[in-house]
Amino acid sequence: MSSSANTNETRSWLWRVNPTHAAGHAGLLVGLLVLWETGSRTGLLDSLILPAPTAILAALWQIAVVDRLLWGHFGITLYEAMAGFVIGSAIGIALAIGAALWEPFRRYSAPYVVGLQVTPRIALAPIVIAWLGFGTTPNVAIAALLCFFPPFLNTMTGLLDVDRDLQEMFRSLRASKRQVFTQLMLPTALPYMMAGLKTAMTMALIGAIVGEFISASEGLGVLMHRFTFQLNMAATFAVLVALTLMGLLLFALMEWVDNRIVFWRHDERMQEISRKRAAREAGRAATETPGTARVAPAGRT
Amino acid sequence: MQVSQDMTMARAEASATTVVEARGLDKSFGSVIAVDKADFEIKRGEFISIVGPSGCGKSTLLRMIAGLTPRSGGSLSVNGREVTGPRGDVGVMFQKPTLLEWKTVIENVLLPTALKGRVSEADRSKAQALLNLVGLQDFAHAFPRHLSGGMQQRVALARLLKIGSDILLLDEPFGALDEFTREHLNLELSRIVSDANVTSVFVTHNISEAIFLADKVFVMTPRPGRLAAVVDVPFPRPRDLSLLANPDFVDLVARVRDIFSKGETA
Repeated sequence: MSSSANTNETRSWLWRVNPTHAAGHAGLLVGLLVLWETGSRTGLLDSLILPAPTAILAALWQIAVVDRLLWGHFGITLYEAMAGFVIGSAIGIALAIGAALWEPFRRYSAPYVVGLQVTPRIALAPIVIAWLGFGTTPNVAIAALLCFFPPFLNTMTGLLDVDRDLQEMFRSLRASKRQVFTQLMLPTALPYMMAGLKTAMTMALIGAIVGEFISASEGLGVLMHRFTFQLNMAATFAVLVALTLMGLLLFALMEWVDNRIVFWRHDERMQEISRKRAAREAGRAATETPGTARVAPAGRT
Repeated sequence: MQVSQDMTMARAEASATTVVEARGLDKSFGSVIAVDKADFEIKRGEFISIVGPSGCGKSTLLRMIAGLTPRSGGSLSVNGREVTGPRGDVGVMFQKPTLLEWKTVIENVLLPTALKGRVSEADRSKAQALLNLVGLQDFAHAFPRHLSGGMQQRVALARLLKIGSDILLLDEPFGALDEFTREHLNLELSRIVSDANVTSVFVTHNISEAIFLADKVFVMTPRPGRLAAVVDVPFPRPRDLSLLANPDFVDLVARVRDIFSKGETA
């Protein structure tokens, strides 16, 4: 019951819109949009700087539905971010497990970890592109590079945060080293890992876009670049909206995975699992010995 | 109950068997002597309380019997075999419930079994029966986080019994709970272990709790941790809370307290 591991109690205010406040949220959003729209139409806002919401919506319609230009680029960026995320996280987690289990590795790698961490890693992007050339590969690499650290650090922290009393308990039950790792250390680290992976997902998307800005022929970053050169600001903002939607999609995906994997940090999930197990047990008891309860309830002596 | 009849017979018959034997048992951490040359024997089926103020080495003594802390000197054997590490015939219950929060109550009770191999249907029924025994029949599929502190310790007790060891070591198991819950759980513990034909060693810093539960009380004094006296507790079983007000009981509490004050002046 480590109370220190509250890394995952953060669904909270971002995710949950209280239904009684829904009207308020909608009202505020509509109000802001109307204000923005009037500002643009009256010329108070330069539409070259900030196009009107309706103009952005029209541009989005144009590139997404009429020209069908958006989707290929959307797919490329999504692929780069996801591939980078998977590669970076996998390496991060693997190295963290090595570092947590093998003290010398942890000791000797620490200075390099700090060195790499304080370096703005996005500055490596031109170097990576110089190494790997053009196309999607360097962008995947940049995404991987950017998202490597959160899973690495969090996994290591989690693996080393195992409750001492639980370790003693496992020792008293003569658990093998392997059992201690799989049944105690890994589950303890999972909430930390998930928190790291959530951050990594955001970083991966940033990495992919920056890579595309620097040098690429496809992707939403390229598309944005192209539209700004054409001074087509409405289309540029439309691409930004598409990026926001992609970010939201990935965020929701991570929340869903989190809910499944570290269910013991989510009360509703735990209650659901408890209910299902109890129902299954009851069902089994009923089929095994029809008519009699298998376990006598409240049979206290 | 037939089981408890068998057990009283078994207990009478085996009353002479020594299950834990310590001779000149020593433990020091650097220059600090935690346990100083302890000699004692524990017989099968006995309930032993080890009582003393914090820092008297009572937990260290328990952990040495459990094989969790290596001794510095002397000899220590359990069931005739020298203690060299954690072992199957000794089960430990800690002050904290030490439950896995990602496992349901029944999965936690089955942990000792799962670590040894496959969990059979018989194991599951046994675990459910133990949950009934500790009064948690309706909570098999709940998660520890949804239980109170007292209920969590009941789960830990059921898990301890599931190990199936014949020696139970209890390190202030209810120390973190409130007075009412603790008294209640002590009563149940006393009922459960006397039904289960096991030998129990219970560490506490509460004198009346120690006496209430035990057949013999090991009194330990600090700096250095020394086994100052072994006090026999003559009250018949089953005991209930009215014993706490019994004059003989009160006298015995005073006698034990006396040992501490002498230990301090010495």
